[in-house]
Amino acid sequence: MSELPELIERCKAGDDYAFREVFRRHRSDVLRLVQRMTGRAADLEDTVQEVFLQVFRSIKDFRGQSRFSTWLYRVTVNVVLMQRRAARSRPIFNETADETLASDHRELPDDQVARGRRVAAFYRLLDRLSDKKRAVFVLHELEGLSPSEIAKVVGAPVLTVRTRLFYARRELLALLAEEPALHLVVRELTNADSVPSPVPEREST
Amino acid sequence: MSRGLSPEELALHRVLRDVREEPVIEPDWSELEARLMSAPRPRARAAASGFFGRFALPSAALLVGAGAALFALFPRHAPVAPITKAIATVAVGPLDGDHLNVGAHVSAGKQSVSVEHKGRARWTLDPGASASISDVGEFLTVHLESGAISASVVPNPKSETFAIEVEGTRVAVHGTAFRVEKTGDHVLVEVTEGTVAVEPASTHTDPSFLLRRGSRGSFGFDGRSGTVEGNASVVDRQKSPQSHRQIAAAPAHPEAKLPSPPATPSAIVDANPSPSAAAPAPALPVQPSIADIEAGVSAAVEVVNGCFRKAASASDIRVTASTGVSLTVAGDGSVQSVTFGPPLAPSVEDCAVAGLRHITFAPSVEGATFTRILELKR
Repeated sequence: MSELPELIERCKAGDDYAFREVFRRHRSDVLRLVQRMTGRAADLEDTVQEVFLQVFRSIKDFRGQSRFSTWLYRVTVNVVLMQRRAARSRPIFNETADETLASDHRELPDDQVARGRRVAAFYRLLDRLSDKKRAVFVLHELEGLSPSEIAKVVGAPVLTVRTRLFYARRELLALLAEEPALHLVVRELTNADSVPSPVPEREST
Repeated sequence: MSRGLSPEELALHRVLRDVREEPVIEPDWSELEARLMSAPRPRARAAASGFFGRFALPSAALLVGAGAALFALFPRHAPVAPITKAIATVAVGPLDGDHLNVGAHVSAGKQSVSVEHKGRARWTLDPGASASISDVGEFLTVHLESGAISASVVPNPKSETFAIEVEGTRVAVHGTAFRVEKTGDHVLVEVTEGTVAVEPASTHTDPSFLLRRGSRGSFGFDGRSGTVEGNASVVDRQKSPQSHRQIAAAPAHPEAKLPSPPATPSAIVDANPSPSAAAPAPALPVQPSIADIEAGVSAAVEVVNGCFRKAASASDIRVTASTGVSLTVAGDGSVQSVTFGPPLAPSVEDCAVAGLRHITFAPSVEGATFTRILELKR
Protein backbone atom coordinates (compact mmCIF):
# COMPACT_ATOMS: atom_id res chain seq x y z
CA MET A 1 0.00 0.00 0.00
CA SER A 2 1.51 3.29 -1.03
CA GLU A 3 2.21 5.84 1.67
CA LEU A 4 0.12 9.00 1.65
CA PRO A 5 2.94 11.50 0.91
CA GLU A 6 3.96 9.42 -2.10
CA LEU A 7 0.37 9.26 -3.28
CA ILE A 8 0.01 13.01 -2.97
CA GLU A 9 3.16 13.57 -5.01
CA ARG A 10 1.82 11.23 -7.65
CA CYS A 11 -1.48 13.12 -7.64
CA LYS A 12 0.44 16.32 -8.23
CA ALA A 13 2.07 14.61 -11.20
CA GLY A 14 -1.35 13.75 -12.60
CA ASP A 15 -1.33 10.04 -11.80
CA ASP A 16 -4.86 8.71 -12.21
CA TYR A 17 -4.21 5.71 -10.01
CA ALA A 18 -3.08 7.97 -7.18
CA PHE A 19 -6.19 10.14 -7.58
CA ARG A 20 -8.35 7.07 -7.38
CA GLU A 21 -6.49 5.79 -4.35
CA VAL A 22 -6.81 9.10 -2.51
CA PHE A 23 -10.52 9.09 -3.30
CA ARG A 24 -10.99 5.57 -2.02
CA ARG A 25 -9.05 6.16 1.18
CA HIS A 26 -10.82 9.36 2.15
CA ARG A 27 -14.25 9.22 0.59
CA SER A 28 -15.96 7.85 3.71
CA ASP A 29 -14.49 10.60 5.90
CA VAL A 30 -15.63 13.24 3.44
CA LEU A 31 -19.08 11.71 3.11
CA ARG A 32 -19.51 11.58 6.87
CA LEU A 33 -18.43 15.19 7.35
CA VAL A 34 -20.66 16.39 4.52
CA GLN A 35 -23.63 14.57 5.99
CA ARG A 36 -22.97 16.02 9.41
CA MET A 37 -22.45 19.50 8.06
CA THR A 38 -25.61 19.44 5.97
CA GLY A 39 -27.81 16.92 7.75
CA ARG A 40 -29.29 15.94 4.41
CA ALA A 41 -29.04 12.83 2.32
CA ALA A 42 -30.30 14.34 -0.92
CA ASP A 43 -27.24 16.11 -2.29
CA LEU A 44 -24.54 14.10 -0.57
CA GLU A 45 -23.10 12.50 -3.68
CA ASP A 46 -22.89 15.77 -5.58
CA THR A 47 -21.20 17.46 -2.68
CA VAL A 48 -18.70 14.65 -2.20
CA GLN A 49 -17.94 14.74 -5.91
CA GLU A 50 -17.42 18.49 -5.77
CA VAL A 51 -15.09 18.09 -2.78
CA PHE A 52 -12.85 15.65 -4.63
CA LEU A 53 -12.89 17.71 -7.80
CA GLN A 54 -11.73 20.59 -5.66
CA VAL A 55 -9.09 18.36 -4.06
CA PHE A 56 -7.77 17.30 -7.44
CA ARG A 57 -7.73 20.87 -8.71
CA SER A 58 -5.89 22.28 -5.76
CA ILE A 59 -3.75 19.43 -4.50
CA LYS A 60 -0.77 21.06 -6.16
CA ASP A 61 -1.14 23.78 -3.51
CA PHE A 62 -0.94 21.30 -0.64
CA ARG A 63 2.51 21.89 0.83
CA GLY A 64 2.39 19.36 3.61
CA GLN A 65 2.53 22.02 6.30
CA SER A 66 -0.55 20.52 7.93
CA ARG A 67 -1.84 16.99 7.91
CA PHE A 68 -3.57 15.95 4.71
CA SER A 69 -6.71 15.12 6.67
CA THR A 70 -6.78 18.67 8.05
CA TRP A 71 -6.40 20.10 4.56
CA LEU A 72 -9.13 17.76 3.30
CA TYR A 73 -11.44 18.91 6.12
CA ARG A 74 -10.76 22.48 5.08
CA VAL A 75 -11.66 21.78 1.46
CA THR A 76 -14.79 19.91 2.54
CA VAL A 77 -15.99 22.63 4.87
CA ASN A 78 -15.39 25.27 2.20
CA VAL A 79 -17.29 23.33 -0.43
CA VAL A 80 -20.23 22.75 1.91
CA LEU A 81 -20.35 26.41 2.90
CA MET A 82 -20.11 27.53 -0.74
CA GLN A 83 -22.97 25.24 -1.67
CA ARG A 84 -25.07 26.52 1.20
CA ARG A 85 -24.47 30.09 0.12
CA ALA A 86 -25.42 29.19 -3.43
CA ALA A 87 -28.52 27.38 -2.19
CA ARG A 88 -29.67 30.46 -0.30
CA SER A 89 -29.90 32.37 -3.56
CA ARG A 90 -32.16 29.74 -5.04
CA PRO A 91 -35.85 29.21 -4.26
CA ILE A 92 -36.32 27.03 -1.21
CA PHE A 93 -38.79 24.23 -1.23
CA ASN A 94 -40.05 22.98 2.09
CA GLU A 95 -38.39 19.69 2.77
CA THR A 96 -40.55 16.79 3.73
CA ALA A 97 -38.14 15.49 6.28
CA ASP A 98 -40.80 14.38 8.71
CA GLU A 99 -42.77 12.51 6.08
CA THR A 100 -39.69 10.82 4.77
CA LEU A 101 -38.68 9.89 8.25
CA ALA A 102 -42.07 8.47 9.00
CA SER A 103 -42.17 6.35 5.88
CA ASP A 104 -38.57 5.19 6.20
CA HIS A 105 -39.01 4.16 9.76
CA ARG A 106 -42.34 2.42 9.49
CA GLU A 107 -40.84 -1.02 9.90
CA LEU A 108 -38.17 -0.15 12.40
CA PRO A 109 -38.37 -0.85 16.11
CA ASP A 110 -39.70 1.99 18.26
CA ASP A 111 -36.34 2.90 19.75
CA GLN A 112 -34.83 3.27 16.30
CA VAL A 113 -37.72 5.45 15.20
CA ALA A 114 -37.25 7.61 18.28
CA ARG A 115 -33.55 7.87 17.64
CA GLY A 116 -34.14 8.81 14.02
CA ARG A 117 -36.50 11.57 15.14
CA ARG A 118 -33.97 12.88 17.64
CA VAL A 119 -31.25 12.96 14.98
CA ALA A 120 -33.51 14.72 12.47
CA ALA A 121 -34.55 17.24 15.13
CA PHE A 122 -30.92 17.86 16.03
CA TYR A 123 -30.03 18.60 12.41
CA ARG A 124 -32.92 21.06 12.22
CA LEU A 125 -31.50 22.87 15.21
CA LEU A 126 -28.01 22.74 13.81
CA ASP A 127 -29.32 24.30 10.64
CA ARG A 128 -30.37 27.34 12.63
CA LEU A 129 -26.84 28.11 13.74
CA SER A 130 -24.67 30.39 11.66
CA ASP A 131 -22.32 28.69 9.20
CA LYS A 132 -19.27 29.47 11.30
CA LYS A 133 -20.71 28.17 14.53
CA ARG A 134 -22.13 25.09 12.90
CA ALA A 135 -18.80 24.24 11.29
CA VAL A 136 -16.79 24.40 14.52
CA PHE A 137 -19.50 22.60 16.47
CA VAL A 138 -19.63 19.71 14.00
CA LEU A 139 -15.86 19.47 13.75
CA HIS A 140 -15.46 19.43 17.52
CA GLU A 141 -18.45 17.52 18.83
CA LEU A 142 -19.00 15.06 16.01
CA GLU A 143 -15.65 14.74 14.27
CA GLY A 144 -13.61 14.99 17.46
CA LEU A 145 -11.15 17.66 16.30
CA SER A 146 -9.40 19.79 18.88
CA PRO A 147 -9.87 23.58 18.80
CA SER A 148 -6.32 24.00 17.50
CA GLU A 149 -6.99 21.57 14.63
CA ILE A 150 -10.28 23.33 13.90
CA ALA A 151 -8.44 26.62 13.83
CA LYS A 152 -6.30 25.30 10.97
CA VAL A 153 -9.37 23.98 9.15
CA VAL A 154 -11.41 27.16 9.33
CA GLY A 155 -8.48 29.57 9.26
CA ALA A 156 -9.33 31.36 12.49
CA PRO A 157 -7.49 31.86 15.79
CA VAL A 158 -7.95 29.16 18.43
CA LEU A 159 -9.61 31.63 20.76
CA THR A 160 -12.18 32.47 18.09
CA VAL A 161 -12.88 28.77 17.64
CA ARG A 162 -13.42 28.35 21.37
CA THR A 163 -15.76 31.34 21.42
CA ARG A 164 -17.79 30.01 18.50
CA LEU A 165 -18.01 26.63 20.22
CA PHE A 166 -19.25 28.21 23.41
CA TYR A 167 -21.98 30.19 21.69
CA ALA A 168 -22.96 27.32 19.41
CA ARG A 169 -23.47 25.06 22.40
CA ARG A 170 -25.39 27.74 24.30
CA GLU A 171 -27.72 28.40 21.36
CA LEU A 172 -28.39 24.72 20.86
CA LEU A 173 -29.19 24.23 24.54
CA ALA A 174 -31.64 27.11 24.36
CA LEU A 175 -33.25 25.68 21.23
CA LEU A 176 -33.69 22.14 22.56
CA ALA A 177 -37.11 22.89 23.99
CA GLU A 178 -38.42 23.85 20.58
CA GLU A 179 -38.04 20.35 19.23
CA PRO A 180 -40.50 17.91 20.82
CA ALA A 181 -38.26 14.90 20.20
CA LEU A 182 -35.41 16.55 22.05
CA HIS A 183 -37.57 18.05 24.74
CA LEU A 184 -38.73 14.54 25.48
CA VAL A 185 -35.16 13.58 26.23
CA VAL A 186 -34.85 16.52 28.60
CA ARG A 187 -38.00 15.37 30.35
CA GLU A 188 -36.73 11.83 30.64
CA LEU A 189 -33.58 13.09 32.23
CA THR A 190 -35.39 15.06 34.87
CA ASN A 191 -38.66 14.65 36.64
CA ALA A 192 -41.20 14.33 33.85
CA ASP A 193 -43.76 16.34 35.76
CA SER A 194 -41.45 19.23 36.49
CA VAL A 195 -40.72 20.17 32.91
CA PRO A 196 -43.85 21.33 31.10
CA SER A 197 -43.98 20.60 27.44
CA PRO A 198 -43.75 23.59 25.16
CA VAL A 199 -45.94 21.77 22.63
CA PRO A 200 -48.92 20.58 24.66
CA GLU A 201 -51.03 19.64 21.65
CA ARG A 202 -48.60 16.83 20.80
CA GLU A 203 -48.65 15.46 24.32
CA SER A 204 -51.61 13.23 23.57
CA THR A 205 -49.50 11.16 21.22
CA MET B 1 -27.99 16.06 37.76
CA SER B 2 -24.80 14.06 37.67
CA ARG B 3 -21.52 15.98 37.58
CA GLY B 4 -23.41 19.25 37.68
CA LEU B 5 -24.78 19.06 34.13
CA SER B 6 -28.23 20.42 33.46
CA PRO B 7 -30.89 18.20 31.88
CA GLU B 8 -30.48 20.13 28.65
CA GLU B 9 -26.75 19.49 28.59
CA LEU B 10 -27.30 15.81 29.26
CA ALA B 11 -29.93 15.70 26.54
CA LEU B 12 -27.52 17.35 24.10
CA HIS B 13 -24.85 14.78 24.99
CA ARG B 14 -27.29 11.97 24.35
CA VAL B 15 -28.42 13.27 20.99
CA LEU B 16 -24.81 13.91 19.98
CA ARG B 17 -24.10 10.29 20.76
CA ASP B 18 -27.09 9.33 18.61
CA VAL B 19 -25.76 11.42 15.74
CA ARG B 20 -22.26 9.96 16.05
CA GLU B 21 -23.69 6.45 15.94
CA GLU B 22 -26.01 7.22 13.04
CA PRO B 23 -24.85 5.13 10.07
CA VAL B 24 -23.85 7.06 6.99
CA ILE B 25 -25.79 6.05 3.91
CA GLU B 26 -23.14 4.90 1.47
CA PRO B 27 -23.74 6.02 -2.08
CA ASP B 28 -22.86 4.00 -5.16
CA TRP B 29 -19.13 4.57 -4.89
CA SER B 30 -18.36 2.90 -8.21
CA GLU B 31 -20.62 5.27 -10.07
CA LEU B 32 -19.32 8.28 -8.21
CA GLU B 33 -15.74 7.21 -8.85
CA ALA B 34 -16.46 6.74 -12.54
CA ARG B 35 -17.96 10.23 -12.73
CA LEU B 36 -15.04 11.68 -10.87
CA MET B 37 -12.37 9.95 -12.90
CA SER B 38 -13.99 10.99 -16.14
CA ALA B 39 -13.98 14.64 -15.09
CA PRO B 40 -11.13 16.73 -16.47
CA ARG B 41 -8.27 17.04 -14.00
CA PRO B 42 -5.07 19.02 -13.98
CA ARG B 43 -2.20 17.13 -15.53
CA ALA B 44 1.39 17.00 -14.39
CA ARG B 45 2.94 20.39 -13.84
CA ALA B 46 6.31 19.22 -15.14
CA ALA B 47 4.98 17.13 -17.96
CA ALA B 48 5.18 19.89 -20.50
CA SER B 49 8.70 20.92 -19.61
CA GLY B 50 11.89 19.17 -20.61
CA PHE B 51 12.62 16.83 -23.45
CA PHE B 52 11.13 13.71 -21.88
CA GLY B 53 8.15 15.59 -20.55
CA ARG B 54 7.27 16.95 -23.94
CA PHE B 55 7.63 13.56 -25.61
CA ALA B 56 6.11 11.41 -22.88
CA LEU B 57 2.70 10.99 -24.47
CA PRO B 58 3.97 10.51 -28.00
CA SER B 59 6.42 7.90 -26.73
CA ALA B 60 3.60 6.05 -24.96
CA ALA B 61 1.63 6.11 -28.16
CA LEU B 62 4.65 4.96 -30.12
CA LEU B 63 5.17 2.01 -27.80
CA VAL B 64 1.55 1.01 -28.15
CA GLY B 65 1.88 1.39 -31.88
CA ALA B 66 5.10 -0.62 -31.99
CA GLY B 67 3.46 -3.40 -30.05
CA ALA B 68 0.51 -3.35 -32.40
CA ALA B 69 2.77 -3.39 -35.44
CA LEU B 70 4.76 -6.35 -34.12
CA PHE B 71 1.60 -8.20 -33.43
CA ALA B 72 0.28 -7.42 -36.88
CA LEU B 73 3.47 -8.88 -38.36
CA PHE B 74 3.35 -12.01 -36.24
CA PRO B 75 -0.30 -12.71 -35.49
CA ARG B 76 -0.79 -15.53 -33.02
CA HIS B 77 -4.51 -15.49 -32.47
CA ALA B 78 -7.19 -13.14 -33.64
CA PRO B 79 -6.38 -10.13 -35.79
CA VAL B 80 -5.39 -7.03 -33.92
CA ALA B 81 -8.01 -4.40 -33.40
CA PRO B 82 -7.66 -1.05 -35.14
CA ILE B 83 -4.91 0.16 -32.86
CA THR B 84 -4.34 3.32 -34.88
CA LYS B 85 -7.71 4.51 -33.70
CA ALA B 86 -6.82 3.67 -30.14
CA ILE B 87 -3.48 5.47 -30.34
CA ALA B 88 -5.30 8.67 -30.96
CA THR B 89 -7.08 8.26 -27.68
CA VAL B 90 -3.99 7.68 -25.54
CA ALA B 91 -3.35 11.33 -24.93
CA VAL B 92 -6.91 12.21 -24.04
CA GLY B 93 -8.44 9.18 -22.40
CA PRO B 94 -8.46 5.42 -22.03
CA LEU B 95 -8.03 3.00 -24.91
CA ASP B 96 -11.19 1.24 -25.91
CA GLY B 97 -10.54 -2.28 -24.66
CA ASP B 98 -13.42 -3.65 -26.66
CA HIS B 99 -11.31 -3.04 -29.77
CA LEU B 100 -8.37 -5.02 -28.45
CA ASN B 101 -8.34 -8.69 -29.33
CA VAL B 102 -6.45 -11.56 -27.79
CA GLY B 103 -2.72 -10.97 -28.11
CA ALA B 104 -2.96 -7.19 -28.35
CA HIS B 105 0.03 -5.69 -26.61
CA VAL B 106 -0.07 -2.45 -24.65
CA SER B 107 2.96 -0.64 -23.26
CA ALA B 108 3.10 2.54 -21.25
CA GLY B 109 5.92 4.97 -21.80
CA LYS B 110 6.51 7.82 -19.40
CA GLN B 111 2.79 8.17 -18.80
CA SER B 112 0.33 5.63 -17.53
CA VAL B 113 -2.01 4.11 -20.07
CA SER B 114 -5.59 3.11 -19.30
CA VAL B 115 -7.72 0.59 -21.11
CA GLU B 116 -11.44 0.46 -20.62
CA HIS B 117 -13.70 -2.47 -21.36
CA LYS B 118 -17.06 -0.75 -21.17
CA GLY B 119 -19.29 -2.07 -18.42
CA ARG B 120 -16.69 -4.62 -17.34
CA ALA B 121 -13.37 -3.24 -16.22
CA ARG B 122 -10.81 -0.53 -16.54
CA TRP B 123 -7.12 -1.22 -16.05
CA THR B 124 -4.19 1.15 -15.98
CA LEU B 125 -0.57 0.38 -16.68
CA ASP B 126 1.91 2.33 -14.61
CA PRO B 127 4.56 4.22 -16.55
CA GLY B 128 6.99 1.73 -18.07
CA ALA B 129 4.68 -1.28 -17.66
CA SER B 130 3.53 -3.57 -20.43
CA ALA B 131 0.79 -6.16 -20.77
CA SER B 132 -1.12 -8.16 -23.31
CA ILE B 133 -4.67 -9.39 -23.56
CA SER B 134 -4.87 -13.14 -23.13
CA ASP B 135 -8.64 -13.64 -22.99
CA VAL B 136 -11.50 -11.39 -24.03
CA GLY B 137 -14.36 -13.82 -23.58
CA GLU B 138 -16.45 -14.28 -20.49
CA PHE B 139 -13.31 -14.20 -18.39
CA LEU B 140 -11.38 -11.13 -19.38
CA THR B 141 -7.71 -11.77 -18.70
CA VAL B 142 -4.71 -9.48 -18.96
CA HIS B 143 -1.16 -10.86 -18.89
CA LEU B 144 1.19 -8.46 -17.10
CA GLU B 145 4.64 -8.66 -18.63
CA SER B 146 6.41 -6.00 -16.63
CA GLY B 147 5.73 -3.18 -14.23
CA ALA B 148 2.52 -2.56 -12.37
CA ILE B 149 -1.13 -2.56 -13.25
CA SER B 150 -4.16 -1.37 -11.33
CA ALA B 151 -7.66 -2.40 -12.17
CA SER B 152 -11.15 -1.35 -11.32
CA VAL B 153 -13.78 -3.89 -12.14
CA VAL B 154 -17.52 -3.44 -12.42
CA PRO B 155 -19.12 -5.74 -9.86
CA ASN B 156 -20.46 -8.89 -11.44
CA PRO B 157 -22.53 -11.61 -9.81
CA LYS B 158 -20.15 -14.12 -11.31
CA SER B 159 -16.73 -14.36 -9.78
CA GLU B 160 -13.40 -14.10 -11.50
CA THR B 161 -14.69 -12.45 -14.64
CA PHE B 162 -11.52 -10.40 -14.73
CA ALA B 163 -8.01 -11.57 -13.98
CA ILE B 164 -4.43 -10.50 -14.32
CA GLU B 165 -1.81 -13.16 -14.90
CA VAL B 166 1.86 -12.77 -14.11
CA GLU B 167 3.95 -15.74 -15.21
CA GLY B 168 2.24 -18.69 -13.51
CA THR B 169 0.24 -16.67 -11.02
CA ARG B 170 -3.31 -15.60 -11.58
CA VAL B 171 -4.93 -12.76 -9.64
CA ALA B 172 -8.66 -13.02 -10.12
CA VAL B 173 -11.30 -10.54 -9.15
CA HIS B 174 -13.97 -11.28 -6.62
CA GLY B 175 -14.51 -7.61 -5.95
CA THR B 176 -13.78 -4.36 -7.66
CA ALA B 177 -10.32 -2.83 -7.42
CA PHE B 178 -6.78 -4.02 -7.01
CA ARG B 179 -3.22 -3.47 -8.14
CA VAL B 180 -0.66 -5.98 -9.33
CA GLU B 181 3.05 -5.40 -9.75
CA LYS B 182 5.71 -7.69 -11.15
CA THR B 183 8.99 -7.26 -9.32
CA GLY B 184 11.89 -9.63 -9.99
CA ASP B 185 10.56 -13.05 -9.17
CA HIS B 186 7.54 -11.93 -7.21
CA VAL B 187 4.07 -10.58 -7.76
CA LEU B 188 2.88 -7.87 -5.40
CA VAL B 189 -0.86 -7.51 -5.01
CA GLU B 190 -2.70 -4.71 -3.20
CA VAL B 191 -6.46 -4.75 -2.82
CA THR B 192 -8.22 -1.43 -2.42
CA GLU B 193 -11.77 -2.62 -2.86
CA GLY B 194 -13.54 -5.95 -2.66
CA THR B 195 -11.76 -9.27 -2.71
CA VAL B 196 -9.30 -10.95 -5.07
CA ALA B 197 -8.11 -14.50 -5.26
CA VAL B 198 -4.53 -15.46 -6.01
CA GLU B 199 -4.12 -18.85 -7.61
CA PRO B 200 -2.03 -20.73 -10.13
CA ALA B 201 -2.66 -19.51 -13.66
CA SER B 202 -3.32 -23.08 -14.70
CA THR B 203 -6.36 -23.34 -12.47
CA HIS B 204 -9.60 -21.51 -12.15
CA THR B 205 -11.65 -21.08 -9.00
CA ASP B 206 -9.08 -22.78 -6.82
CA PRO B 207 -7.59 -19.91 -4.85
CA SER B 208 -4.48 -20.22 -2.75
CA PHE B 209 -4.98 -16.84 -1.09
CA LEU B 210 -7.88 -14.48 -0.63
CA LEU B 211 -7.08 -10.81 -0.21
CA ARG B 212 -9.73 -8.42 0.99
CA ARG B 213 -9.94 -4.66 1.03
CA GLY B 214 -6.86 -3.02 2.49
CA SER B 215 -4.67 -6.11 2.37
CA ARG B 216 -1.64 -6.94 0.28
CA GLY B 217 0.63 -9.83 -0.43
CA SER B 218 3.78 -10.97 -2.17
CA PHE B 219 3.55 -14.16 -4.18
CA GLY B 220 5.76 -16.45 -6.17
CA PHE B 221 5.14 -17.07 -9.84
CA ASP B 222 3.58 -20.43 -9.07
CA GLY B 223 0.44 -18.90 -7.60
CA ARG B 224 0.80 -21.10 -4.54
CA SER B 225 3.54 -19.60 -2.39
CA GLY B 226 3.54 -16.19 -0.80
CA THR B 227 2.95 -14.05 2.23
CA VAL B 228 0.01 -11.79 3.00
CA GLU B 229 -0.62 -8.81 5.24
CA GLY B 230 -3.83 -7.25 6.49
CA ASN B 231 -7.25 -8.66 5.88
CA ALA B 232 -6.09 -11.59 3.81
CA SER B 233 -6.19 -15.30 4.29
CA VAL B 234 -4.42 -18.38 3.11
CA VAL B 235 -6.92 -20.88 1.85
CA ASP B 236 -6.23 -23.65 4.28
CA ARG B 237 -9.21 -25.62 5.36
CA GLN B 238 -7.37 -27.03 8.35
CA LYS B 239 -6.54 -23.70 9.98
CA SER B 240 -9.13 -21.10 9.07
CA PRO B 241 -12.12 -20.59 11.37
CA GLN B 242 -14.81 -22.30 9.41
CA SER B 243 -17.74 -24.62 9.54
CA HIS B 244 -17.60 -27.79 7.51
CA ARG B 245 -20.90 -29.44 6.63
CA GLN B 246 -21.21 -32.84 5.13
CA ILE B 247 -24.16 -33.03 2.79
CA ALA B 248 -26.15 -36.21 2.83
CA ALA B 249 -25.62 -38.13 -0.35
CA ALA B 250 -28.09 -37.07 -2.97
CA PRO B 251 -29.13 -39.45 -5.65
CA ALA B 252 -26.71 -39.36 -8.53
CA HIS B 253 -27.97 -37.66 -11.65
CA PRO B 254 -25.61 -38.42 -14.45
CA GLU B 255 -27.90 -36.71 -16.90
CA ALA B 256 -29.62 -34.30 -14.62
CA LYS B 257 -29.58 -30.70 -15.66
CA LEU B 258 -28.89 -27.95 -13.22
CA PRO B 259 -32.13 -26.84 -11.59
CA SER B 260 -33.04 -23.17 -11.67
CA PRO B 261 -32.11 -21.24 -8.55
CA PRO B 262 -35.01 -21.57 -6.16
CA ALA B 263 -36.93 -18.44 -5.25
CA THR B 264 -37.46 -19.55 -1.68
CA PRO B 265 -34.75 -21.86 -0.48
CA SER B 266 -36.91 -23.10 2.33
CA ALA B 267 -39.21 -24.67 -0.22
CA ILE B 268 -36.68 -26.27 -2.49
CA VAL B 269 -38.05 -29.23 -4.30
CA ASP B 270 -35.98 -31.39 -6.56
CA ALA B 271 -37.86 -30.76 -9.77
CA ASN B 272 -36.02 -33.49 -11.60
CA PRO B 273 -36.27 -36.74 -9.68
CA SER B 274 -33.68 -39.29 -10.48
CA PRO B 275 -34.61 -41.83 -13.10
CA SER B 276 -34.23 -45.26 -11.65
CA ALA B 277 -32.69 -46.63 -14.78
CA ALA B 278 -30.20 -44.18 -16.19
CA ALA B 279 -29.01 -44.50 -19.74
CA PRO B 280 -25.29 -45.16 -20.27
CA ALA B 281 -23.45 -41.93 -19.63
CA PRO B 282 -21.39 -40.39 -22.40
CA ALA B 283 -17.62 -39.96 -21.97
CA LEU B 284 -17.14 -37.59 -19.07
CA PRO B 285 -14.65 -34.75 -18.84
CA VAL B 286 -12.02 -35.06 -16.14
CA GLN B 287 -13.37 -31.96 -14.44
CA PRO B 288 -16.43 -29.82 -15.06
CA SER B 289 -15.89 -27.00 -17.52
CA ILE B 290 -15.61 -23.45 -16.25
CA ALA B 291 -19.00 -22.63 -17.71
CA ASP B 292 -20.56 -25.62 -15.93
CA ILE B 293 -18.93 -24.65 -12.67
CA GLU B 294 -20.12 -21.07 -12.99
CA ALA B 295 -23.67 -22.20 -13.72
CA GLY B 296 -23.69 -24.45 -10.67
CA VAL B 297 -22.03 -21.86 -8.50
CA SER B 298 -24.62 -19.26 -9.46
CA ALA B 299 -27.36 -21.60 -8.27
CA ALA B 300 -25.46 -22.39 -5.07
CA VAL B 301 -24.83 -18.73 -4.36
CA GLU B 302 -28.51 -18.04 -4.87
CA VAL B 303 -29.35 -20.71 -2.32
CA VAL B 304 -27.02 -19.27 0.32
CA ASN B 305 -28.18 -15.74 -0.38
CA GLY B 306 -31.79 -16.81 -0.11
CA CYS B 307 -31.16 -18.47 3.23
CA PHE B 308 -29.40 -15.39 4.52
CA ARG B 309 -32.21 -13.11 3.42
CA LYS B 310 -34.81 -15.46 4.83
CA ALA B 311 -33.20 -15.16 8.23
CA ALA B 312 -33.95 -11.44 8.06
CA SER B 313 -37.65 -11.93 8.64
CA ALA B 314 -37.10 -12.07 12.38
CA SER B 315 -35.26 -8.76 12.45
CA ASP B 316 -35.34 -5.48 10.62
CA ILE B 317 -31.74 -4.67 11.35
CA ARG B 318 -29.61 -4.44 8.24
CA VAL B 319 -26.88 -7.06 8.34
CA THR B 320 -24.00 -7.77 6.00
CA ALA B 321 -21.66 -10.70 6.18
CA SER B 322 -18.73 -11.98 4.21
CA THR B 323 -17.83 -15.61 4.07
CA GLY B 324 -15.91 -18.00 1.90
CA VAL B 325 -17.98 -20.91 0.68
CA SER B 326 -16.08 -23.97 -0.46
CA LEU B 327 -18.03 -26.63 -2.30
CA THR B 328 -16.85 -30.14 -2.94
CA VAL B 329 -18.63 -31.70 -5.87
CA ALA B 330 -18.54 -35.41 -6.56
CA GLY B 331 -18.06 -36.93 -9.97
CA ASP B 332 -21.79 -37.47 -10.32
CA GLY B 333 -22.35 -33.74 -9.89
CA SER B 334 -23.82 -33.87 -6.41
CA VAL B 335 -22.54 -31.51 -3.73
CA GLN B 336 -20.74 -33.62 -1.14
CA SER B 337 -19.77 -31.04 1.39
CA VAL B 338 -19.72 -27.34 2.01
CA THR B 339 -17.42 -25.29 4.20
CA PHE B 340 -18.25 -21.81 5.45
CA GLY B 341 -15.28 -19.75 6.56
CA PRO B 342 -16.00 -17.87 8.70
CA PRO B 343 -19.12 -19.75 9.76
CA LEU B 344 -22.61 -18.35 9.27
CA ALA B 345 -25.45 -18.61 11.76
CA PRO B 346 -26.41 -22.28 12.25
CA SER B 347 -29.92 -21.66 10.94
CA VAL B 348 -28.53 -20.11 7.76
CA GLU B 349 -26.07 -22.96 7.29
CA ASP B 350 -28.78 -25.56 7.90
CA CYS B 351 -30.97 -23.89 5.30
CA ALA B 352 -28.08 -23.68 2.83
CA VAL B 353 -27.13 -27.33 3.33
CA ALA B 354 -30.74 -28.33 2.68
CA GLY B 355 -30.80 -26.26 -0.49
CA LEU B 356 -27.42 -27.36 -1.79
CA ARG B 357 -28.52 -30.97 -1.50
CA HIS B 358 -30.76 -30.35 -4.49
CA ILE B 359 -28.17 -28.65 -6.67
CA THR B 360 -26.49 -30.75 -9.26
CA PHE B 361 -23.39 -29.86 -11.20
CA ALA B 362 -22.39 -31.28 -14.53
CA PRO B 363 -20.93 -34.75 -14.03
CA SER B 364 -17.22 -35.35 -14.47
CA VAL B 365 -14.64 -37.99 -13.67
CA GLU B 366 -12.95 -36.31 -10.74
CA GLY B 367 -15.50 -33.77 -9.57
CA ALA B 368 -14.18 -30.47 -8.32
CA THR B 369 -13.63 -28.27 -5.30
CA PHE B 370 -13.88 -24.53 -5.50
CA THR B 371 -14.31 -21.50 -3.29
CA ARG B 372 -16.32 -18.33 -3.60
CA ILE B 373 -16.36 -15.26 -1.41
CA LEU B 374 -19.92 -14.15 -0.78
CA GLU B 375 -20.95 -10.71 0.35
CA LEU B 376 -24.33 -11.32 1.95
CA LYS B 377 -26.78 -8.52 2.70
CA ARG B 378 -30.21 -8.34 4.18
